Amino acid sequence: MTAQEVRLCGLLLREHFGEVVEKVGRHLIRSGAQNLRTLLHETGISIDLVKKSLCVLVQHGVCVFSSGRKGPGSPTEYRTSCDRILRILRYPRYIYTAKTLYGDTGELIIEELLQRGDMTMSSTVKTVADRLTQNMEEGRSMDYSEVSSAFSKLVETHFLQRCPPMAAAATKNGAASATPATPATPGTPAAPVSTTLPTPESFPDCYRVPHVTLIGKGKRRLSNEDGEDQRSAKRAKIDSETHGDEGIYWQVNFERFHLHFRDQAIISAVANKLDQTSSEIVRTMLRMSEVTTSPTATCTKPLSANEIFRSLPSSYNIARPILDQYLTLLVDDPMEFVGKAGESGGGMYVVNLHRALANLARATLESVVQERFGSRSARIFRLLLRKRHLEQKQVEDFAMIPAKEAKDMLYTLLSQNLVQLQEIPKTPDYAPSRTFYLYTVNQLPTARMLLQNCYKTVANLIERRLFESKESKRLLEKSQRIEAILASLQASGAEPEQLTEVEEMITAPEKQQLESLRLHINKLDSAENQVDETIFLLESYINSTVTS
Amino acid sequence: MAGKGRGVAAFTFNVEALGIGRGSMPEARVGPSPLFPNTDFKPVPLKAGEEEDYMLALKQEMRGTMQRLPHNIKPNSNKAEVEKYTERYLKQKQMEDDEWTPDWNLFPKELMPQKKKPRVKPGTKKKTVISRKDAEAVLSKLDELAKNDDGNPEKSDDETEKKKGNEDEEEIEEEEYEEEDIEEDNDYIESYFDNGEDFGAGSDDNMDGEGTY
Amino acid sequence: MSEGPHLLNQNFNCVCVCVCVCVRIKELCQQFPHGITDQVIQNDMPHLEPQQRAMAINKLLSLGQLDLLRNSSGLLYRMKDIQSTSKMKGSDNQEKLVYQIIEDAGNKGIWSRDIRFKSNLPLTEINKILKSLESKKLIKAVKSVAASKKKVYMLYNLQPDRSVTGGAWYSDQDFESEFVEVLNQQCFKFLQSKAEAARDSKQSPMVQRNSSFATSHEVWKYICELGISKVDLSMDDIETILNTLIYDGKVEMTVIAAKEGTVGSVDGQMKLYRGVNPVIQPTGLVRTPCGLCPVTHTHTHTHTHTHTHCVRGCPCLTSCFLSSGV
Repeated sequence: MTAQEVRLCGLLLREHFGEVVEKVGRHLIRSGAQNLRTLLHETGISIDLVKKSLCVLVQHGVCVFSSGRKGPGSPTEYRTSCDRILRILRYPRYIYTAKTLYGDTGELIIEELLQRGDMTMSSTVKTVADRLTQNMEEGRSMDYSEVSSAFSKLVETHFLQRCPPMAAAATKNGAASATPATPATPGTPAAPVSTTLPTPESFPDCYRVPHVTLIGKGKRRLSNEDGEDQRSAKRAKIDSETHGDEGIYWQVNFERFHLHFRDQAIISAVANKLDQTSSEIVRTMLRMSEVTTSPTATCTKPLSANEIFRSLPSSYNIARPILDQYLTLLVDDPMEFVGKAGESGGGMYVVNLHRALANLARATLESVVQERFGSRSARIFRLLLRKRHLEQKQVEDFAMIPAKEAKDMLYTLLSQNLVQLQEIPKTPDYAPSRTFYLYTVNQLPTARMLLQNCYKTVANLIERRLFESKESKRLLEKSQRIEAILASLQASGAEPEQLTEVEEMITAPEKQQLESLRLHINKLDSAENQVDETIFLLESYINSTVTS
Repeated sequence: MAGKGRGVAAFTFNVEALGIGRGSMPEARVGPSPLFPNTDFKPVPLKAGEEEDYMLALKQEMRGTMQRLPHNIKPNSNKAEVEKYTERYLKQKQMEDDEWTPDWNLFPKELMPQKKKPRVKPGTKKKTVISRKDAEAVLSKLDELAKNDDGNPEKSDDETEKKKGNEDEEEIEEEEYEEEDIEEDNDYIESYFDNGEDFGAGSDDNMDGEGTY
Repeated sequence: MSEGPHLLNQNFNCVCVCVCVCVRIKELCQQFPHGITDQVIQNDMPHLEPQQRAMAINKLLSLGQLDLLRNSSGLLYRMKDIQSTSKMKGSDNQEKLVYQIIEDAGNKGIWSRDIRFKSNLPLTEINKILKSLESKKLIKAVKSVAASKKKVYMLYNLQPDRSVTGGAWYSDQDFESEFVEVLNQQCFKFLQSKAEAARDSKQSPMVQRNSSFATSHEVWKYICELGISKVDLSMDDIETILNTLIYDGKVEMTVIAAKEGTVGSVDGQMKLYRGVNPVIQPTGLVRTPCGLCPVTHTHTHTHTHTHTHCVRGCPCLTSCFLSSGV
């Protein structure tokens, strides 16, 4: 991982889990696998806090542990990965997507799971039902069964999965156990020590919803109930009921969300480039292949035009010959979103997933050059992407840009590492006068570099946001205090005059300052969300080049 | 030509051959980059719409929630001598399940807290009794640790810590933990994050984040 | 063809030259610019001794006023360019040689260095000769757009080739950047309106796509009719402009087979262009000043720099990002 990733991961950990967890997390990122003892020693944090931090990290799936890597009985080692920590940045998008797919219930299920790291189905259902009931009008409430069915749907569509069961034997016996932990193959005696952890999907029950006995409705929290009551209520709840799914924990399957994001990106690109109907056809194709296509496949399984036609929602009203025309146009398009795989069944078609990602990444790079260096530099950049290797003179001629300007632009792009220069000597002495100098753009390394820029940008935005709030700390505290007073006054049925009096404790200029702070923070927060879209696209593209 | 050129801009070849020679270098490259360079191009406005607004709200809500959850660990700070009103108010906002209890079936046992001496300074700890069945393992462990101990005096403290956390869990369970047997056989259910005394919710430092809207 | 004069020139002494014969031969040559045979001269001056005839011809050849050509029907005499040859009077052989080399280079011109290679004369000598020829207005030096510092030489009365002048895009060897950009915009406007009209036609998708295409000939015609260009633009010129639109990501090109003789087709192929929509909106990264800030991208900067610069005081974050409207 790079310095940029570590910095951003640190900030994300700090924001969500506090500075102690950040310190432990950063240390784990930098040092790789570590055991508790070295971690204590090297961070200098008290044992209590290190343990708590590790618990938090493990709970949120940010940290994994394994024992026996260095031989039987060797201490448990903890590991974390930047990739997983960076997902925190995307939490709003996971939640929003769940909302678009499964409504408010889906939204709250994903939100709860992201907040807690993992939860059992029964406790998720109860919490979500309570929250939904809270927002319903008086006298109505959310039935557990409804939330349960939404939960099951999320599992069916693989947006949720079981947390991989821990190597029960290994941990129960602790580090002293002589059997090394190989959770993937329980029952295999003295299996070789595994250094790679099993994926959740390597467990057969990954997407199996357990039988849960859960009857009831969400409960409304009374407004005058204070924290103490809630706590005892909750404790009582835990104590009294079992639902048959104890010990089965669920987590959000980020990979599945990412496939969905990828598909959405392709669909919207088709809509931009071609038209709405074409995008609906591609959407249909992607939906049809969700189950049959592996997450790392370069393209979907071939679908016949006949199948596609049958699967099109009738509301689209596309006649069969028109569908054929659309498919032909999609295949013809230089973006190559759709490819033709054969002639049977009225023509076999695939969605070129990886090629689409590569083309979208290319468009992203072009967009960055365009906005950062202007359209004529972008012309040169695109030219080099298409023609591979060009001499400066050729660049001038093709791009129709005067020599001096072209030279400046090329130099700027070169110094920003967006284009590269290759020397091709005509003679072995590398004499400059007998050497070709060819400009070129390497898409993959450029994408990697821009990804790092994205990490750096988000970290800058977060730090700026922290700085902004720190600057207005006193004022924020004051406004919170006044809100608190107002709330308690309202609860005790105070006179309206009294309330206004308290409200006016915040002066007009202070109000203004608070408002502009709010605007700034909104802007910075939104920018973080939107840069993450760039991050997603670049990451997906880079990952696709690894698997394909 | 001979004296300069190579390495002008950290290239492995003579950049002058490209016509990027002295004088034709872009101006900004002559000296160090200015601290506040002019960005010639203004950023494209942020996307704005329902989707963006909703995700913004989700993001801020998430952040607020996460900071109130017990998963957000506050350092043991005793700086705040006098509890301010704000702090008391903010304390009320702590989530209801302030005491988060990990399911110890899924966590390494060595991470279990030591209830009885939560604030004991490292190094002052005594070794606890070692159970019969684990004695052997612990001994081999000690050997290993001794071997690893390459003359670093600080390590002995950690060792003690380590042993407490790692090998003594059976005893810890028996001796040091109040049992709240609700679940299965070997339950380590424990009020892990007791609010209040150890890591108070309302020290100044904790609120350094930002207001959540 | 230069071996002709050499062959006949060798051992003749031009002592008694009949000037009249020479003049008459030149008149005949002007009458028949493609050349005359020996027979033509014989028919014109039947009383002339063959020897006299030969002497007159040799005189003319040696003066470089006449060329001896050989074709299927035998030898052919042709007039050399009168103006230049008359001006070459008084030039020495080196000068003639250099002139010849420059003449051979045609309207593409030739660099002085290449003249040196071909003539084997020392560079100082060549420069002297070039100067002399230039002053006599026999040749001219033309700055080539291909290499701004190098001059090429060609005969004075020649129109320099496009490769030297840069064609329509140059005036006085200066690239007319603005002209190019205007044409770029106009071509795009044309293609864009064509694509819009196609979309609005609400016809079948295939018909819509096909009617959004324009051939380079159509674009060429549109631009010519606009009358924005002072110089005559060729279809190649327009295709060069259309290519810049491809690199701008705004236009796509397809080549289709065309019937021989179709307007705008070349070698049985026709280039079709159409305006296209961008595939993505500007990416999130460029919606933040940090995504644009050049400092962000230098590899040498430190964490503290980031901290004080971009986080706290970066004017980009403050001025153009936070303080602008929502």
